[in-house]
Amino acid sequence: MTAGVYTTGNERVVSGVLALAMHLLFLALLIFGVAWQKREPQAVVVDLWSDLPPMPAPKPPPVPEVKPAPAPPPPAPKVEVKPAPKVEPKVEPKPEPVPDPEIALKEKRERERKAREQALAEKKKREEEALAEKKRREQKALAEKKRREAQALAEKKRREEQARLAALKAQRAKEAEARRLAREQAEAQRKLAAAEAAAQAKLIDEYTRRIREKIKRFIVEPPNLPGNPEVIFAVTVLPGGEILDVKTRRPSAVAAWDSAVERAIRRAQPLPLPPDPALMSKFRELELVFRPKE
Amino acid sequence: MSVVSLIAGASVLVQIVMLLLLLASVFSWYYIFIKVFTLRRARRLAADFEREFWSGADLNELYQRAVGARRSAGSLERIFEAGFREFMKYRKQPGIDVADMMDGTRRAMRATYQRETERLESSLSFLASVGSVSPYVGLFGTVWGIMNSFRGLANVAQATLGHVAPGIAEALIATAMGLFAAIPAVIAYNRFAGDINKLATRFESFMEEFSNILQRQAH
Repeated sequence: MTAGVYTTGNERVVSGVLALAMHLLFLALLIFGVAWQKREPQAVVVDLWSDLPPMPAPKPPPVPEVKPAPAPPPPAPKVEVKPAPKVEPKVEPKPEPVPDPEIALKEKRERERKAREQALAEKKKREEEALAEKKRREQKALAEKKRREAQALAEKKRREEQARLAALKAQRAKEAEARRLAREQAEAQRKLAAAEAAAQAKLIDEYTRRIREKIKRFIVEPPNLPGNPEVIFAVTVLPGGEILDVKTRRPSAVAAWDSAVERAIRRAQPLPLPPDPALMSKFRELELVFRPKE
Repeated sequence: MSVVSLIAGASVLVQIVMLLLLLASVFSWYYIFIKVFTLRRARRLAADFEREFWSGADLNELYQRAVGARRSAGSLERIFEAGFREFMKYRKQPGIDVADMMDGTRRAMRATYQRETERLESSLSFLASVGSVSPYVGLFGTVWGIMNSFRGLANVAQATLGHVAPGIAEALIATAMGLFAAIPAVIAYNRFAGDINKLATRFESFMEEFSNILQRQAH
């Protein structure tokens, strides 16, 4: 209402933005919305065989890895046999009623001395015993340990031997398997090659037949042909099926027949050729035999 | 093959043509939007003024208001203002012939009318140009692109459709863009021309009626 007939700056901005937005929208539609050319999946050539070449035999199961014999168990912790703590029984001399201190004292001394001697002797005896016991035990432990070690060694040796044998066996089996596989593969290849050759031969036959049929269609037989004259032509063919050259390899007795066939050959081009260019070499030089009656 | 690769693969001249067409399209749309806004407002202002005028308002008062708000006045208001001003000037001169007076008033109104319609029609010629020229420009880009693509074909021993098709597709993008710019421009041009025509008729009939009113006042 306020702007009258003039265009306001605001309108200009809005118009510009709208115009740009429209184009961007269209561009986005064009880029993301239209799939111009779908990528066709690439054609895959598959050869079909009625007898499949043998699959590679499954790998021989992995040779169970022979683990090295477990290390000999660590020597058992030495049981330190400690001599039993000595219990020194303390003999408490009983105080006796002392009738006479002198005698009592003497007696007492005597007793004490005796007791001491006895205790000493006892102690000595016990110590000796303990020592002997300890020695015996140590010897026993040592013997035991030696025996165990020897046993472990023997066990280890035995296992190693076993593993070696097993590995040898596996190796042999593998070799045999490989030999068998190679043999089978060679066999399969031979079969394959044979099949291919057969297919090729069949194809060549087929196309040679077709070429002859086509040429025959164009033959205009001259009238009154005497007998069954045979003419052999050598035809040089170009890859497209065009005929480069026609030569009479061995003319028949009837010239009219020969020329009729030659005309037919020339008119029959392009000759039908197999689509496989590898076979072209077999068709470069053709020798064709024609007889009126066949 | 996407659109982007098609555009990027085109030759330089074709790319320039495409850029030109893109600019033409953007500007034509810019003017289309501006015209839409302007014409809508012009119609509304004309309708408002007509309603006010025919509701029997005082001419002097209307005139004063029109003079006071010259920037926001609509086309019809301006025509009225110009005519009324001229009429008042004549009236101040004594002994002037009524026919002369009416002639002068009508001339003044016609001048303003011309100016207003011209203003309404501004940038319509741009739309017309885009609408008529951009297909040719696009076609030029296409022809050039196809020429190039065939020239490239001369170097190839065995010509296949695969050799020609991308070049032609690239070239055809130019025509597509030309049409893309031209079609909205032509449609908008026709639409706006019709709208302006209607408005102009409205202005003219108002001028006639207003002249009649003034003539009656002059006597």
